[in-house]
Amino acid sequence: MRMKTLNWKNAFSWLLMLLVSCVEPYTPDVLDAPNNFLVVNGFININGPSTIQLLRTQNIYDESQPLAESGAMVKIEEEQGPAYTLEEQAGGYYVLHNLDLNILKKYRLYIRTSNGKEYVSDFIDVKPTPAIDAITWKPVDDAVQLYVSTHDDENNTWYYRWEYEDTWEFTAAYYSYLRKVGDEIVYRDLKYDNIYKCWKTEKSTTIELGSSVMLSQDVISNYKLLTIPATSEKVGLQYSILVKQFALTREAYQYWEILKKNTESIGTLFDPLPSQLTGNIRCVTDPDEPVVGYMSASSMQQKRITIKANELPDDWRLFYPRCAPLDTIPVDKAIDFLGETGGYLPVGEVFPENSPTQFPIGYTYSNRSCVDCTVRGTNVKPGFWE
Amino acid sequence: MAQVYKILILLVLLLASTVAASNAQDRAPLITGTYSNVPFQDFVKDLEAKTKYSFYFDAAAVDSLVVNITVQEKPLQVVLQQALQSTDLKFAISSEKQVFITKERAILTALPQGFFNGDDSSAGSEPAVLAETFVPQDTKKKNAVSEIKLYEIGAKTGNTSGNANLAGHLRDAKTGEAIIGAYVYIESPTIGTASDQYGYYSLTLPKGRHELKVRGMGLKNTRRQIMLNADGKLDIEIEEDVRALKEVLVEAEKDRNVSGLQMGMERLDIRAIKQVPTAFGEADIMRVVLTLPGVKSVGEGSTGLNVRGGSTDQNLILFNDATIYNPSHLFGFFSAFNPDIIKSVELYKSAVPAKYGGRLSSVLEVTSREGNKKKFSGSGGIGLLTSRLTLEGPIIKGKTSFLIGGRTTYSDWLLKKLPNDSFNSSTASFYDVNAHVSHEVDSKNSLYLTGYLSKDRFKLSADTLFRFKNENASLKWKHIFHNKLYSVLTTTHSHYSYDISNDENAVNASTLAFGINQTSLQADFNYFPNSKNTVDFGASSILYNVAPGSLTPNSPESLIAPDKLQNEKGLESAIYISDRFDISQRLSISVGLRYSVFNAMGPRQAFTYAPNVPKTEGTIQDTVSYGSGETFATYHGPEYRLSARYGLTDNSSVKVSFNKLRQYIHMLSNTATMSPTDIWKLSDSNIKPQVGDQLALGYYRNFRANTIEFSVEGYYKWMHDFLDYRGGATLIMNHHIETDVANAEGVAYGVEAMLRKSTGKLNGWVSYTYSRTLVRLNDPRVSEIINRGEYYPSNFDKPHDFTMISNYRFSQRFSTSLNFTYSTGRPITLPLAKYYDGSTERILYSDRNQYRVPDYYRLDFAMNIEGNHKIRKLAHSSWTLAVYNLTGRKNPYSIYFKSEEGKIKGYKMSIFGQPIPTITYNFKF
Repeated sequence: MRMKTLNWKNAFSWLLMLLVSCVEPYTPDVLDAPNNFLVVNGFININGPSTIQLLRTQNIYDESQPLAESGAMVKIEEEQGPAYTLEEQAGGYYVLHNLDLNILKKYRLYIRTSNGKEYVSDFIDVKPTPAIDAITWKPVDDAVQLYVSTHDDENNTWYYRWEYEDTWEFTAAYYSYLRKVGDEIVYRDLKYDNIYKCWKTEKSTTIELGSSVMLSQDVISNYKLLTIPATSEKVGLQYSILVKQFALTREAYQYWEILKKNTESIGTLFDPLPSQLTGNIRCVTDPDEPVVGYMSASSMQQKRITIKANELPDDWRLFYPRCAPLDTIPVDKAIDFLGETGGYLPVGEVFPENSPTQFPIGYTYSNRSCVDCTVRGTNVKPGFWE
Repeated sequence: MAQVYKILILLVLLLASTVAASNAQDRAPLITGTYSNVPFQDFVKDLEAKTKYSFYFDAAAVDSLVVNITVQEKPLQVVLQQALQSTDLKFAISSEKQVFITKERAILTALPQGFFNGDDSSAGSEPAVLAETFVPQDTKKKNAVSEIKLYEIGAKTGNTSGNANLAGHLRDAKTGEAIIGAYVYIESPTIGTASDQYGYYSLTLPKGRHELKVRGMGLKNTRRQIMLNADGKLDIEIEEDVRALKEVLVEAEKDRNVSGLQMGMERLDIRAIKQVPTAFGEADIMRVVLTLPGVKSVGEGSTGLNVRGGSTDQNLILFNDATIYNPSHLFGFFSAFNPDIIKSVELYKSAVPAKYGGRLSSVLEVTSREGNKKKFSGSGGIGLLTSRLTLEGPIIKGKTSFLIGGRTTYSDWLLKKLPNDSFNSSTASFYDVNAHVSHEVDSKNSLYLTGYLSKDRFKLSADTLFRFKNENASLKWKHIFHNKLYSVLTTTHSHYSYDISNDENAVNASTLAFGINQTSLQADFNYFPNSKNTVDFGASSILYNVAPGSLTPNSPESLIAPDKLQNEKGLESAIYISDRFDISQRLSISVGLRYSVFNAMGPRQAFTYAPNVPKTEGTIQDTVSYGSGETFATYHGPEYRLSARYGLTDNSSVKVSFNKLRQYIHMLSNTATMSPTDIWKLSDSNIKPQVGDQLALGYYRNFRANTIEFSVEGYYKWMHDFLDYRGGATLIMNHHIETDVANAEGVAYGVEAMLRKSTGKLNGWVSYTYSRTLVRLNDPRVSEIINRGEYYPSNFDKPHDFTMISNYRFSQRFSTSLNFTYSTGRPITLPLAKYYDGSTERILYSDRNQYRVPDYYRLDFAMNIEGNHKIRKLAHSSWTLAVYNLTGRKNPYSIYFKSEEGKIKGYKMSIFGQPIPTITYNFKF
């Protein structure tokens, strides 16, 4: 009887496979046209440092780093008012510290690139950002679901965008108290030479947008920011997230929404078609030249929360680092075989059975990736870590 | 039986008493008199007084008749002729000075020549023939079943020259159902017509003896010997060709291809439809329509049709005359029509008859069967995902029949069985029910009542529930005034609505709903004045009521502000007249004019926008308020329908047609396919109606005694003011939708070639189409300019298209079908460059629709195994085994690029990307 049920289930899964679509990678070969348009990232921060990054577009399959636009003159201009020049830094960054703009005025960005082309944004309204009310989380279906809530008492914001940076603590699979220095295997200084416990930080890669225009009050209640599966390394020990909130104008919201539609929310059976994306920055010297980016004038609000593994449901099987079992190597071959920072690293000592002695007869060792957490993160504890 | 016998005796006596007399009319007295508004009975009394004749008539038949004549010394014959001229009454004068006034057919006062010279051995049956032939019976028409018997139509008169009209119904001998689209004709001279959707035909033929032939799809070819003396009726019962049951038969089209005037029209019989393999083993009308030349879709799993470069909302889909807004189930995986209740499907791609209007590209008319008028029967099918059952039978034998069909899916139950959680909490189900009653009130009046209901429910991962439903009803009253004129009065109601509920987060829990209601009244008249002309005229009116959207909170904690878009109301009215004129054997033309008017009606708060700039929220100038029923925008215009045919030889012809159509209702959708969440929008002060013109030219030729037909049709189409969308348009809950759409113009042109073999062991068709569809948005006063104002390919521009449908019958019980389709990939907008936006890579897209997805091709195979053909059997059954997409080609349904973990990745999604075998059991009892 049991056998029979199973067969039925297989048959049904097979049937559903017919219904369910099949997705595979696709690489059209027409995308080789060389083009490099100006890309403008960042926003005009009304009461804090403004950072604008100028880059160039690349071909889809170009694996190199995006080209930074250096040597440009970048200014923030007030409508019928003063202009503030930004200072160039490495990587195409242009920065202006401590600007305090008048929220009743309109501002625009002016760029003159080193090849003499001029670009301006539209004059934009200043939109201050209300504070984040709370970042909350709860376990939902074997995952940690994180939410952001905010509101504007003055019912004036309505459109929001979020970015976040998440940081988590993790360990290597094996705890090594040894290290090879020159021709010797020595004990590791665990305080200053920790390669077991590390931290990793990532920036959000998705566009998170929320709007309260459908509501009678300007309230965002529990916007689903992200989900982290229970088995993710992120929540294996301790997790921290810094959420940044930006107020948007309606037009800016629409721009981000199209960008999101074009690049994220597609691939369903009823796709919207990708639509042309026109930002609010244009080339003055060549009106036909596309410019990528959308300038907003706003402030930034931040909030951080921390989730510890012991706060998660008891029945969750959390992430535990795993590696192939340790190998051993005799003492006389260890120096030639093991590496100082790469290759195979020593983990522990091996002593002869039933005859405890001071001297090991060999060492256990493993791949660097199983021993050294700095392969993927940093062993410098972040300042905000509790 | 005794009754009949008595009548026969009486008749024989009556006839006998008239035999002896001869040349009575020679001594007829002359009559003089003026009759002005004189009741017929008084008129007769006067005549009886003036002459020595006695009159015999049915008082009830003449009680409303008045006589208006003036005669001066005329014989009785002439006087009566004048008096009864404009009525259907006939008279006969016997030698015994008796005048018989009868309805429609004159009594013969003498036996036909050679009556007594007949073969004595058949005397037993002769009186019956006699009665049938010569005596007006209650039904006043014949059910002609014999191929060798000579049927006399009308009374013999001295005048054997000139024409007479023959009309009647074609019916299935087994079920009594009307037979549509069968060809009734004589061969010398070639005069013929096709039966209409009620099985009615009307032919004007030279008087005399003819062999009347009848041919139709899946029917045994049959013929009747007729002697046409005067106008009369002949109902013909035709047997189904059992042997050909599963053969694709497009036989009715045989002659139509070359000799019919209609071009750009395809008719498919349900038998042909059932032959074509589909993904889920169930005959699917929409998918078969897609194999016809000139019909395309954006991709699989979508039942939206693109006919000759038109968008999916430009097709008028009629089910028994009621408009169907969403012809699909489960997001297009199934069509909304239950194959068991369908009789035929007609698609007009060009030369759209003047009777139809309101959509730019095509008319798809789906007709259900009437139900078996003779005995109770049923049919059904059991498939892997759906099952269906249809019951039918007479309510009053021979007069009233019913047909009821239902269909449902059990995929819901199936999803629940799956171990995966997200499937477990998903549900997908649909059902549809059809009911049809047809009633023959008397020989002149018939009523047809249809009801249709379909519902879909689709829940994805436990929190979002989609529901949509179609509700349709239609009532038709067909009235035959006389042989040459009949009318059909139709009233229909169509309802389509959907809602989407989301209850995952109590604060945002809400329901979004859309609905459209349409009520229509239509009167159509068909008039056959003579053998050269067929005149259609009529009027129609449609009242639309659209609830474009409402958003309501559906939990007490929900903060969703209830929102409702203003209801829209509109009245679309039209009158039309068209005449088909057969100028000569070679040349026939059809001229039609339809004039349509659309009124957008209040109550409404309408925005007015600054002129000559794109409509945006910023250019709103004023809000004008209109009261209930007040017309605030009117559009109207003529729609021309012209077509002509010239026969080059007996088996080849050229045809040309020109059409203009107007469309006052638009579908808003920013997906390429037709999805259940599309919104229909009426024209109003800010949205103009769409207008389309089409010129088509075709060459038709039949080979090998009409068994192989060949056609080439070319067309050019202009489309104005159809809706395209601005980038990132918001279509749902938009209070000023005109700011997000733009009036685009388009052209479409192409050539369609088709070779079809309808009979024989191997049959089917091969078609090739070259076509282009281009769109342009270049008016800066209307919208943003797309692709620098140049023409760009529309989403469904697929230049090359090749289809092959082939069937091979190995034996009467075993047949196979192999179908192949190929088409150019549809256009897409591709990402040209990528850039880093500070945290991740993003994409910059190319000009709209500048590139194409890989080509599409698919091979399907099916096998039909019939049970034995014994007539007396509890149930007839058959098995259909089919493999859809035999080669397992992963045809792209959608190609997209998205950024994942900071990298751009391209994906191709295909549905049905592997061979899909299905098995279906069908039964009939």
